[in-house]
Amino acid sequence: MKKFDADAMGETLLRRFAGGTSRRGILARLGAALVAAPVFPLLPVSRAEAAKPDRSGEGKTAFARVAQSKDNTKCDYWRYCAIDGSLCTCCGGGIHTCPPGAEPSPVSWVGTCVNPDDGKSYLIAYRDCCGKAYCMQCDCNNTDRETQLYVPQLNNDVIWCFGTSSMEYHCSTAVLVGPA
Amino acid sequence: MKSIASRMLSAIPTLAACLALSVIDAPQALADTANPTEPEESDVAAITPPKPGWIFVNRGFVFPGTAIYDTGNGKMLGLVQTALLADMAIDPAGKFYYVAETIWSKGNRGTRQDMVTVYDSTNLKLQAEIPIPGRLLIGGRKQDFILSDDGKLGFVYNFSPASSVSVVDLEKRKFLRAIELPGCASLIPNPGAGFSALCADGSLATVTAGAAKPAITHSAPFFSATDDPIFDNLIYDKTKQQAVFLSYTGKIYTAKMAAAPTVSEPFSIQVAAGLRAGDTKPLDVNWYPGGGQPMALHRASGHLFVLMHPGEYWTHKAGGTEIWDVDLAAKKVVKRVPITDPATTIEVTQEAAPKLMYSGGEGGTVHVIDLKTWDETLKLDRAGSGVITVTDAR
Repeated sequence: MKKFDADAMGETLLRRFAGGTSRRGILARLGAALVAAPVFPLLPVSRAEAAKPDRSGEGKTAFARVAQSKDNTKCDYWRYCAIDGSLCTCCGGGIHTCPPGAEPSPVSWVGTCVNPDDGKSYLIAYRDCCGKAYCMQCDCNNTDRETQLYVPQLNNDVIWCFGTSSMEYHCSTAVLVGPA
Repeated sequence: MKSIASRMLSAIPTLAACLALSVIDAPQALADTANPTEPEESDVAAITPPKPGWIFVNRGFVFPGTAIYDTGNGKMLGLVQTALLADMAIDPAGKFYYVAETIWSKGNRGTRQDMVTVYDSTNLKLQAEIPIPGRLLIGGRKQDFILSDDGKLGFVYNFSPASSVSVVDLEKRKFLRAIELPGCASLIPNPGAGFSALCADGSLATVTAGAAKPAITHSAPFFSATDDPIFDNLIYDKTKQQAVFLSYTGKIYTAKMAAAPTVSEPFSIQVAAGLRAGDTKPLDVNWYPGGGQPMALHRASGHLFVLMHPGEYWTHKAGGTEIWDVDLAAKKVVKRVPITDPATTIEVTQEAAPKLMYSGGEGGTVHVIDLKTWDETLKLDRAGSGVITVTDAR
C-alpha cells in the first residue's frame, strides 16, 4: 500500500514557492538548484511510487486518529503529524509565523497530515525559524511518513535553516501549502 | 607615587620565590592526598589513548562536548571538545579524535567555518583544523562522518541542500575533493572502493573516492526509502567488512562491502523472535524498532542488540522498552530484556566481556549493563543524550 506521493508534494511546494517569490528574492540568492536539489534526484523513484494517499479511516496513522484541530500549542494538533522541535506557537510566534526577530527558512521538510474536521489530507511545510537560540518550549517529535537522510525533504532532524542569515535553530512552524 | 608597572616588577622576585617553593613542595602535596594543606599549583591531568571499555557520549542537542567515561568504574575521564551538531570519529590507530564541526565567527552568526578538528588522544589538545567546504547540520547521525578502515581518509556528508561528500586526507591533513552524491546519504566505509551510501531509489551507491575522477555505481534497489526506510544509523563491522541495516518494520539486512557490494535477503526481527513480521499498515500493533541509535553490534560474537517498543508503524523514533538480542548468524532473537527507562540510544563495547549501554530522554542518563549477567552495573547521570561511540574492534 502506497500512502503518499513525494513527487507531487515536491512539485506543489516548488510551484507555490516559485509563485510567491520575486526574482530578486531569496530564490535568486540561493539558486534554483539549492531548492530543487532534494527533489530532483527522487523523481524516478517518486514516479514509480505515484499513488493517491489513503484517506480512509483504516489508512489513518495512530497520530491522525487522535489528532485535534483546536489547540495549535499541543503536539497532537493535526498539522504537526511530522514535526520535530519546539512549536513556534509556544515561543512568541504562530502556526505560520516566526517569533519576533527570528527568520523563516525558505526551504523546509514536508508532511502529509489529515485534517480531522474534513477528513482530507493536506501538504504541510515545516518551516524552521532561525537565528535565535533553541526555544525549548512545547517540544514535539511526530513521525508520520518521516524518513531518513537519503530522502531529506521528508526528514525532520535536519536543521532546515538554509538561506537564512543565521543557521541557528529556534523553533518550527507548520505552514499549510494545499490539499495533498 | 610608585607606578603600577614598577610595583608589579618589584613583586616578581617574591612571586618567583613562591612558585619555586610550590614546585619543591609539589611531591609532598601529592603524597598527602587525604586532606592537603600545603600551597598548591594548578596542573593538567594526562589521559591514555582510547581503551575498549571506554564510551564517548555526545551530550546532545543543547550541550556541546563529548564526554569520555570508563564503563569499568563509571568515572568521567575527560571531554572531547565538540561543537553542537558535531560528528566525532576515533582514529583506528587510537592516536586522534576527529571532529567534523561547524562554528561561526560571531557565535550564532558571522562567517561560517566548517572543519575537521584533530585532537591528540594522549592529552585531548587541539592539533589541527582541516577546513572543509561545508557539512550537514543535524547531529545524532554516526554515518555523516566516517573514516576509511586504515584511518587515512575521512568522508564528511554535506547538504547545502544539494548532497555531496567531502573527502579529507587525514595524513596530510587537507581537504581533497568534494564528490556530488545526489539522492544518497548515510555513508558506509567500503575498503574495496572508497565509500558507499544508501539512496532514495532504494539502492546502495558505491563511490571510488581515491580516483581523480570519482565514479559512482548503484546496486539494484533492495528497499523502499519512503515505505520502509533503513535507519541512517546503520552499523559497519570492519572486521568482516560488512554493514548491518535495520528497517522501520524490523527487517535486518547485511551487506558485504566491496567494489560491487552484495546485500543479503533480509530477515524479520519479529519472526526471529517467534512473532509475525512487522507491517506498514495502520492499526497493526506489533513490536517495532525505534530510536535515534536503535541498534548496536558486538562484532566478535555477532550479536545485534535492538531497541524495540510495542506500537504501530511510523513510530520509529519511539523509545525502546525492551532490548532484543539477535544472533545474526542464526537469525534468532535469543533474549528479550525489558528496560524501565525507555531508550533511544544503544551501544555495546567491543570487549571480550562486553558492556551494553542505553540512554534516552533529556536527562541524559546512560545505563551500563554487564552482558554476562544482564545486570545493570552503572548508572551515569547527566552523561549525555546524544549518540554513544565506542572504539572499534581491533
